[in-house]
Amino acid sequence: MGIKEIQTDRDKLVSLYDEYYDKIANYIYSRIGNKTEAEDLASEVFLKALEAIKTYDERGLPMQAWLFKIAHNVVVDHLRKITKYKTISIDKVEIRSEDDPQKTAEINIEMERVMAAMQQLTDEQQEVIRLHFLAGLSSLEVSALLKKTMERYGKCNMLLLRSYGDCLVETCPGN
Amino acid sequence: MTNDFNQILDECIDRITRGETVEACLSDYPEHANRLKPLLTAMAQTKASYAFTPSINNKRAARQRFYTAVEKSRQPSFWNRLFTRPVVWAALTAVLVVMIVGYVALRPTIFPVKLPSVTVTEASSEGNFVFLVTDAVNAITDFSNLDISVDKVSLLQTDTSNQWVEFTPATSQFDLTLLPGGKTQELWQGNIPEGNYSEAAIYVSKVQGTLKANGATIEIKVPGNKLELVQPFQVSSNNTTSFTYDLTVVKAGNAQGGGKYLLKPQVTQSRTSLTP
Repeated sequence: MGIKEIQTDRDKLVSLYDEYYDKIANYIYSRIGNKTEAEDLASEVFLKALEAIKTYDERGLPMQAWLFKIAHNVVVDHLRKITKYKTISIDKVEIRSEDDPQKTAEINIEMERVMAAMQQLTDEQQEVIRLHFLAGLSSLEVSALLKKTMERYGKCNMLLLRSYGDCLVETCPGN
Repeated sequence: MTNDFNQILDECIDRITRGETVEACLSDYPEHANRLKPLLTAMAQTKASYAFTPSINNKRAARQRFYTAVEKSRQPSFWNRLFTRPVVWAALTAVLVVMIVGYVALRPTIFPVKLPSVTVTEASSEGNFVFLVTDAVNAITDFSNLDISVDKVSLLQTDTSNQWVEFTPATSQFDLTLLPGGKTQELWQGNIPEGNYSEAAIYVSKVQGTLKANGATIEIKVPGNKLELVQPFQVSSNNTTSFTYDLTVVKAGNAQGGGKYLLKPQVTQSRTSLTP
């Protein structure tokens, strides 16, 4: 890769920072349940992306999706470091301290329902939910990241959402 | 129908992700509202339950770290800076040229080419080549005798292919003090291949003499036991070529005060002559 291409990619990464820092922090928070650590790790994602910018190839993956690929790896490394657990107990999920007790309780209940519904899904399906709903990636970006064609992705998306939605609203254990 | 619904669902997800409401999507697709509503509501609930906004301070600090790293990555590395200077390239080119020239010039010395050799075993008084030695006067008068032992003589033939022509002298030892003023000592005569020759080397195994001054016996060391002389000459079958190898002893420093004597070939005095 030439110096000009590297400079172009670096400038693009800089331009994405403000928009995608929040999305990545949200995505990481959904994986580890700790806001402060999610913020630190989101920062780490961009630093890692900067280090690896020479290896980035736009033809393979949009840069936005590439950032989430790095984020996924950062989370995996983080979880491997701190513990071997894969699911997060609702008790360990950090709730904003400024929220009032009633609101905190409501969020707790809501998160419990969401997590119960998520646990009915495969790892990949959970990843789709996180990337799509929580990180705010578009269908195109999620399909590129998961290496699925749009048509196939659309079908999976509908089935996944239907089962997830049903589970969330009605029939899952814990609801 | 199913494909249409998939596309609508996908579009609505993207719209909600971008900040639109569930209701806005449902109102655009009333015919699918019943199916879309639970799905989009689930999405909205999930999004709402996990959404958080990073603290401004943490985000600012993270941005600062990132921008610092970006600035650092924009600066060329030490090696980049070094190799973008023309003077560095000029110096490297000069060093490279010197190395190449030096290698080419010194290659024969560092990696000498081993030439083939042929040995002439028979001496003959009617041979086409006579090898003689003589002494050019220098420090020879310091000696009452100076005995030189010669193991082998090599002649470099330089015609179509180079080769060494070697023979063992019939007279392998002589006293150099007896050969002053153009007197010669024949060491060997025999037949050697016709052709052009460019160099003669004698292999000396021992040089030992007695000094007149104190009667001391000294040994003169010859580096590599070999004395080389570059002197072009021709050998043909019709004539006899006489090659006179002029040796001389020179004094380096004061022999009695720790100095020493050297045995050297004398290029200007060595000669060849043809006898029909």
